[in-house]
Amino acid sequence: MFSHLFRNAGSRKQARQELPAGTFAHGNTHLIHLRRVVKTFQTAAGTFTALNGVDVQIDRGEFVAIVGKSGSGKSTLVNMITGIDRPTSGEVLVGDTAVHTLSEGQMAVWRGKHMGVIFQFFQLLPTLTLVENVMLPMDFCHIGSMKERQERAMALLEQVEMTAHAHKLPSACSGGQQQRVAIARALANDPSVILAVEPTGNLDSRTAGAIFDLFEELVARGKTVAMVTHDRDLARRVSRAIVIADGEIDVSPLE
Amino acid sequence: MSPRWNKVGRDLWRAKLRTFLVVISITVGVFAVGTIASTRILFSQDISDGFLAINPAAAQIYPPPFTDDLVRTVRRMDGVKDVEGRRRATLRVQTGPEQAPNWRTLRLELNPDFAGHRIYRLALEHGTWPKEKGELVIERSTVAFLKAQIGDNIMVETVDNKQHPLTITGIVHDLYKPPATFSGQIYGYAGADTFDLLRIDKRFTELNITVAERPLDKQHIQSVVDGIKRRLENTTGRNVLVQIPPPGEHPATETANTFLLVLGVLGAITLGLSAFLVVNTISAVLAQQVPQIGVMKAIGARSAQLTSMYLVSVTIYGMLALLIAVPLGAMGAWAFTAYLATLINYTPGSFRIPIVVLLLQAVVALVVPLLAALWPVMAGARITIMEALNAAGGRGTFGLSLFDRLVASVSGALRVPRPILLSLRATFRRKARLALTLSTLTLGGAIFIAVLTVQASLSATLDEFLAYWKYDVNVNFTQPRRIEQLVEEVKQVPGVVDAESWRFGSARRVRADGQEGIDLQLVAPPAETRLVNPVVLSGRWLLPDDENALVINSEVTKEESDLKVGSEVMLKIDGKEHEWRVVGIVKAIMSGPTVYATFPYVAALSHNVGRANGVQVVTEHHDAAFQNRTVNALKQHLDGVGLKVAGTGTISSTRQNVESQFNILVVFLAIMAALLAVVGGLGLMGTMSINVLERSREIGVMRAIGAIDGAVIQVFLVEGLLIGLLSWAAGTLLSLPISRLLSDVVGNAFMRHPLTYTFSPQGAALWLGVVVVLAGLASFFPAFRASRLTVREVLAYE
Repeated sequence: MFSHLFRNAGSRKQARQELPAGTFAHGNTHLIHLRRVVKTFQTAAGTFTALNGVDVQIDRGEFVAIVGKSGSGKSTLVNMITGIDRPTSGEVLVGDTAVHTLSEGQMAVWRGKHMGVIFQFFQLLPTLTLVENVMLPMDFCHIGSMKERQERAMALLEQVEMTAHAHKLPSACSGGQQQRVAIARALANDPSVILAVEPTGNLDSRTAGAIFDLFEELVARGKTVAMVTHDRDLARRVSRAIVIADGEIDVSPLE
Repeated sequence: MSPRWNKVGRDLWRAKLRTFLVVISITVGVFAVGTIASTRILFSQDISDGFLAINPAAAQIYPPPFTDDLVRTVRRMDGVKDVEGRRRATLRVQTGPEQAPNWRTLRLELNPDFAGHRIYRLALEHGTWPKEKGELVIERSTVAFLKAQIGDNIMVETVDNKQHPLTITGIVHDLYKPPATFSGQIYGYAGADTFDLLRIDKRFTELNITVAERPLDKQHIQSVVDGIKRRLENTTGRNVLVQIPPPGEHPATETANTFLLVLGVLGAITLGLSAFLVVNTISAVLAQQVPQIGVMKAIGARSAQLTSMYLVSVTIYGMLALLIAVPLGAMGAWAFTAYLATLINYTPGSFRIPIVVLLLQAVVALVVPLLAALWPVMAGARITIMEALNAAGGRGTFGLSLFDRLVASVSGALRVPRPILLSLRATFRRKARLALTLSTLTLGGAIFIAVLTVQASLSATLDEFLAYWKYDVNVNFTQPRRIEQLVEEVKQVPGVVDAESWRFGSARRVRADGQEGIDLQLVAPPAETRLVNPVVLSGRWLLPDDENALVINSEVTKEESDLKVGSEVMLKIDGKEHEWRVVGIVKAIMSGPTVYATFPYVAALSHNVGRANGVQVVTEHHDAAFQNRTVNALKQHLDGVGLKVAGTGTISSTRQNVESQFNILVVFLAIMAALLAVVGGLGLMGTMSINVLERSREIGVMRAIGAIDGAVIQVFLVEGLLIGLLSWAAGTLLSLPISRLLSDVVGNAFMRHPLTYTFSPQGAALWLGVVVVLAGLASFFPAFRASRLTVREVLAYE
């Protein structure tokens, strides 16, 4: 359906430097490497351990589903990778970057360039048109001129078949359309890794299937995609599933 | 334009009501500051330029009556640039229709050379200078009082009861004279021929001098004047009184500046409260945008970028406020200056906006909101993505602190319905925001109550004045008369129920080193007087057997701070020195420095035993109309029996004059208080909007479990009212020190002593009403909007 997806993705004048293959700066051989990551939260009821010494490795070009029951720790795991949250102990290494050591400012710059984040509720900014929403990450990361940003945003919208709606506000679009735009926005800075949190959780099964096709196209083009999902049917279509239960990686195979 | 700046603009446009509220809040502060600053500058420039243009005297010297010879002699003295002689005569002028005449005091000034006079120059505004005998010009502010125009004849009466018609040839502006509304007197100017006609001595009594060098150096002026004074005293063998006003400064400048300072402080407070509102509003914007901040951070926005976006929003608020506040402030200043012009009798310059004020307003409009917003913006922009994405249900916890638990247990013990319990506890959920809102409303309320307390204090001061002086009318005579005769004649006039003969004079303290102090009014009532009710601060009042006992008022102690009960003091009266002993200090109420001694002793000192030059009269009724009628009747009767009246006065006219000045002041203070109330109301409305916004999820849950519209509204209405009531209680307490300070400052500026402090319970009650209405409105509208939302809308709010 989206076979032409991102054919122009690598054509930008100043393409970002790819993370080097082989061994990375911190001795990690995997693109994403979580080492003995522990995450605890202080609540009124006491200390809650969301991740308990988790080790996770994800390689370049993998399409990984992170599955588990509600409260199992899967969103926390994704938040560790994106730098949205920090581990209580352990290391989070993505390519050459020790994510857990970055300051908030460094983290924002790094995330903008290397991570594409997609949310369950799309989270498009309501006062910006669709094309402006896609341009926003380039704007924050100062990538390209204004004209180039506009052209690239339109190209990305074209690839998710949303060009006709480019100048509409999000409120004028359906959930599926908004999620497609959210994917285009996640790709705006041409990141190596796409992380999606329940990207199909708010969509009907037909639309969800179409969005999933999109992710498969991305993987085919060399992107690394990690996706949190409840949907075990969709999880079966990925190259690998990481099952998490009670804050620990469940090694039993996905049923 | 880049998308993030598009977002800034569209967010402002999308939240039009909030944008409007915050722009208005900033506008109020910038307007207040602009109006006061501009008025101060325009007033200072205009009064200063105007005053220097009339060539004010550096000093006034009062030798015994003199002619042009002395003027010429003084002009040749060292350091003198110019000299002119003046004389003032006090007459009465008839106002109102002939069948019901009303007589007012006319201060007629002798001007020997209208066309060529140089010091305290009069500006002829209409008509011509007097050329013939029997002509005069009048001061412009007295025209309305006199109810006469150019060409009209007015009837004046001299102290020997002779009436003369005089013709008005012109209207002049005398910047040196207070307006008639202020002084209650009518000012006229005539040549020597007219003084001849009126049979008034046309020799001068006042020397107005200017100095050749350093005209604004008071010390230099003093040294020049000392030389003149010594020579005049040596020549005449008499004391020569000297006055050196602040060089180049209009007499009313200090009072007006104090007034402007009070208003300036209120303006600054208004601005401070506006800044609180900016904090609240920006917090509201950020509260609403927390999820968006999370998303923007997730796609690469740095805290600095987000900070700049929201600070640009604040700058836009400031610029919009500036656009509104600059013209409004200019108009406010113009109106204010016009008011001061009527109060001080000067001519305001052309309409203009001082560039300094423009810059000040720009700085205030742009910098103050930025500073106010800096912390909430930085805190909001620094929020982590985790916090942002988890904050959709509203931040602010309740129940963790000891204070929260106290509120919970107290409110729980109140046995009130659950929704009200929810309101009580929700009020204390966001403590910083509550503190800001309370501060705004509390300060607004405190000033509001303080202004009304100043009004109550003024009224109490005037009542005290009436209680102090128990007479209604006073009559002064040209020469001392037997006291029995005065009382007997006065009591024959219908409407008079009591009378006492008093003696008035002047005295000056002579210190141990021979230096003389300021002029003191000497009042000598009978020791057993029924017509004065002094407030004794220390010591005692006069006793019938007192001889050289002296009671001084608190104004004297300000000038002669070493004087205490028991002090020995030397007073010079009628050129002779006498030893006195201070036996008491009484409170000065609407009077200058005054000393009191028993009538027989003072009369004996001046070799006028049993003779007085004044009579104080109690009338049957105490209203202004009756007092005026009695004055006319007294005048007619006393004229008929050959007692020459020098002047008359009524207590009600004094009160009326003071009240009319203060009422305008109170109106201006009330305007400032109203501005503060508006800002406080806007603050509460902003707070309640945020509360509703942040608790949308709670509203959804409440509605899902059966809360009807009224119940939702009630929760927020009770919360708003509770904040209002808390602020009222705090504001009432805070108003106590503020109102005391304000009444002291206002009293000192306008009456030279603090007002009689009287807290206004009516003011507190009125503010309670205002705050309940404000709180009701401010919380009703956001709550009403919230009650319109469906469960689905509010639960899907994030």
